[in-house]
Amino acid sequence: MRYQPVIGLEIHAELLTDSKVFCACQNEFGGSENTRVCPRCSGLPGTLPLLNMGAVKLAAKAGFATDCTINNYSAFDRKNYFYPDLPKAYQITQFEHPICTDGHITVKGSKDIRINRIHIEEDAGKLVHDDYEGISMADYNRCGVPLIEIVTEPDFRSIEEVQDFVEQIALRLKYAEVCDARMEQGSMRVDVNISIMPVGSTEFGTRAELKNLNSLKAIGRAIEYEINRQAEILDNGGSVVQETRRYNDNHGDTKALRSKEEAHDYRYFPEPDIPPVLLSDEDITEIKNSMPEMPQTRFKRYTEQYGLPEDDANLIISDKNFSDFYDEAVKINPDYKQISNLMLVELNRNLNESEKTISDVTFSPADLAELVKMSTDGVVSKNAAKDILKIMFDNGGKPMNIAKGHGFIMDNDASGLETIVDKIISENADSVESYKNGNQKIFGFLMGQVVRLAGKGANPKLAKELLTEKLK
Amino acid sequence: MSLKELRKMLDKKEIGAIELTQHYLDNIDKKDGALNSYITVCHESALNSAKNAQEMIDSNNSDSFTGIPISVKDNICTLGVKTTCASRMLEDFIPPYNATVMEKLNKSGIVMLGKTNMDEFAMGGSSQTSYFGGVKNPYDTSRVTGGSSGGAAASIAADLCAAALGSDTGGSVRQPASFCGVTGLKPTYGAVSRWGLIAFASSLDQIGVLAKSAEDTGFILNGICGYDKNDATSSKNAKGEYLSLIGSDISKLKIGVPKEFFADGLNNEVKSAVLSAVEYYKKLGCEIMDVSLPSLEYAVSAYYLISSAEAASNLSRFDGIKYGFRSGLGEDFNDLIKNSRREGFGGEVKRRIMLGNYALCSGYYDAYYKNATRIRTQIRAEYASIFEKCDVILTPTAPTTAYKIGEQENDPVKMYLADIYTVTVNIAGLPAISTTCGYDKNDMPIGMSLIGRAFDEKTIIAVCDRFEHDFTRKEAEI
Amino acid sequence: MFNSDLTKHLAELSKIEFTDDELERMTSDMTDIIAIMDKACNFDSAVKPYALDAVDYNDLRSDSHEMSYPTEKIIENAKNVKNNSFVVPKVV
Repeated sequence: MRYQPVIGLEIHAELLTDSKVFCACQNEFGGSENTRVCPRCSGLPGTLPLLNMGAVKLAAKAGFATDCTINNYSAFDRKNYFYPDLPKAYQITQFEHPICTDGHITVKGSKDIRINRIHIEEDAGKLVHDDYEGISMADYNRCGVPLIEIVTEPDFRSIEEVQDFVEQIALRLKYAEVCDARMEQGSMRVDVNISIMPVGSTEFGTRAELKNLNSLKAIGRAIEYEINRQAEILDNGGSVVQETRRYNDNHGDTKALRSKEEAHDYRYFPEPDIPPVLLSDEDITEIKNSMPEMPQTRFKRYTEQYGLPEDDANLIISDKNFSDFYDEAVKINPDYKQISNLMLVELNRNLNESEKTISDVTFSPADLAELVKMSTDGVVSKNAAKDILKIMFDNGGKPMNIAKGHGFIMDNDASGLETIVDKIISENADSVESYKNGNQKIFGFLMGQVVRLAGKGANPKLAKELLTEKLK
Repeated sequence: MSLKELRKMLDKKEIGAIELTQHYLDNIDKKDGALNSYITVCHESALNSAKNAQEMIDSNNSDSFTGIPISVKDNICTLGVKTTCASRMLEDFIPPYNATVMEKLNKSGIVMLGKTNMDEFAMGGSSQTSYFGGVKNPYDTSRVTGGSSGGAAASIAADLCAAALGSDTGGSVRQPASFCGVTGLKPTYGAVSRWGLIAFASSLDQIGVLAKSAEDTGFILNGICGYDKNDATSSKNAKGEYLSLIGSDISKLKIGVPKEFFADGLNNEVKSAVLSAVEYYKKLGCEIMDVSLPSLEYAVSAYYLISSAEAASNLSRFDGIKYGFRSGLGEDFNDLIKNSRREGFGGEVKRRIMLGNYALCSGYYDAYYKNATRIRTQIRAEYASIFEKCDVILTPTAPTTAYKIGEQENDPVKMYLADIYTVTVNIAGLPAISTTCGYDKNDMPIGMSLIGRAFDEKTIIAVCDRFEHDFTRKEAEI
Repeated sequence: MFNSDLTKHLAELSKIEFTDDELERMTSDMTDIIAIMDKACNFDSAVKPYALDAVDYNDLRSDSHEMSYPTEKIIENAKNVKNNSFVVPKVV
């Protein structure tokens, strides 16, 4: 039988706050064991949580980034379960009154994926397992790191839709400065709920939840594996079990997590230590006004106002820092196309060759803007601009200083060039003769000789004109 | 002698801080063997604090509490001093931080004599469920002190401290105060920071004061109340000045007497003592009003469902891993924590956790927990409507006086039902004070409670103080 | 109706080990206790469940970090520690 997958996502994203969500410990990745911990986040008796305003703000921003409604009233609940990475044995989360509801993102150009809710919660600690000693060791540095959970409706019908959605969410969260969205580091974690049903059916099947998907590729492979696994079960007359399955990237398969003896019963109830939060309409407007430009808006600006090709616009936008760099540069020199070209081709080549990112670049967007202007103004040649960029990239420095220091300044003095052209013609009588006899190819050779003698600063256009004239 | 007078004597150097502390320590050494009101006595650190206090006094830098020796209930975290909640689970737990109330009092130069005994995790009304043995009533050591702040109440009644900090979730300050013949004040929810109070039921817990008089409880409350940035449920409405109405004319006040508190189940001796207190106020000129709290019949169930649900969650952190008792049994994580909790918790704590999970678990939540929170809304509304007419409500504190040890504390249902007169105050978050208004045929104290509007402690303190001036207490002979 | 299966389920949720005798005793206690609690079940469902008063967003703790606690203070009450971490029998 042919099957149609039905997929929903639960995405956890770590918020880029300065402090943790319920205590003032620093919110930062890593660190030695239990060094970013206090009585609150380690769950000592008698301690109480203190909600971080910054976490509420970033969660609301995530809502704006995904066209959600930001609710005036939101409240916290306790989700009770025992696990060694959860020191209080309950996770503080938002169950009944999440901060954001009813959003959506358009995937593959036209299909809307509905977002059911975005709520705030706290992360758990980390466990390190020692097989030899048969122990697990709990480190609470990550306990209380603020998270949002973005829950979609089961609206996805293909891997491509899922991947497009995840890419867009990651990009939007980065643009909104809500989360750095590094799947491989775990700062954004995607859980996939997937079931299959016969094509044409409208009744959803039993779903499995897939965890441990730390790249777009892993998401694709895991879904594909799971579709086949479930199809095989159904084809053999079996039924899919509702369970959580862990994806193994090395094997490309999913395995059921050892099922607990009892079904989960989280016994949610209102968190008595945290009063509900009221966001006034003014607060919400203020947060909205603090939203940076979103990638989808930026795309419009690049293509409609700047006239960039869609592919180029997408390439620039796909890295927020790269795009910010571009924006800074075109603010100084609104030569949208030339700057885009230089960045996408030359700068990217340098970045790729050195395995660096735009954040490692030591020169400023203003320097790049100036370099492009120098090139378009004919101060340096196009080729020289590429060389100057490489020097700036490797060693830093201002483009004008480099141009001067390395003799890249284009010589527009016709009389000087004329002397050189005359000299080359007289020294290469044979070649000149050959050219005049119709050997067009020899022009290049002569031109090369002129440029070599004139140096890097030679104005190639002028040299060509002069040489052509003299050879007539 | 009142704390105010004690303050004057210390400042005038009619008595030395060290001498005063030594007096109480000697009393404890002499008497507490028979009472078991303290779990930990801090001989050394108390004398050190007294020494520092005397230096403050000598340099004219004394504050309200400088040199005043108090006892602290053993569920209030004290930096570097064992805080056990009277449980095997926390038998050797030493908090790395102080409760906010301790920070405030320490800054003022208070002397902490030790940590008082209680029902395990403050769950109970007898102070017999302590892992360290039950507390005995100074009026009759064959009887219970009530609870859960039984150690605190006994420490006041037997003169083992000048004042005591307790905690009150459903009557745990007022009921033992009643049983031990002392005064117990439960402040408005949010008036005192809960930071450092080991939680039983977060939405009901409040640190309170037990002392020899209403005035003394207000004197201490002045020093521990106030908004605390460490507790998001603490309030900015608690402004102190709790003694400001003492001595003022209270004859214009209207006192409500809710009929449901005098129905079946109330011991006759208690009833007549409380009604004579009502008569006392009537003679003063107060208007006595018949009022009604129709939902009282739901109060015990609502209280036990809410408090146990919160307790089940609050006590989940005790798993033997980060602190507290860790069982030697258990091959895997699940077994380890199940055995640690089996061996670390006593029977009553286990019952509450089980009840709490029952109230919260799937399929039961709506019928139990959610309905309990509806009852909570209703009881709050009923109190609000009474306080539109009255300034103070007068009720018995407990249906009976202190009973014999072993008589009823092993019958959970009987114990739970006995909380009926105290729990509504916590459900509504109101302040209430219990004071002695008589003695039964066995000379056991009878308590009455005055309930006030939220953050209006000063009125009930003044009303209570007036009664205490005209009432002669019998001293416990221990 | 309260029965021993429910007690076992609650014991599992509560993470408390019970012997068979203890379970039986607990079932009996719980039966009596629940009988009182049943009083709440038929309460007027038109009344709104209680919730804490909400606080204004602007009164929340502002987002700036402070020093954490010394690690030794965090782990000093634990019975089993390795690599400054809390040790449990291996999970997963």
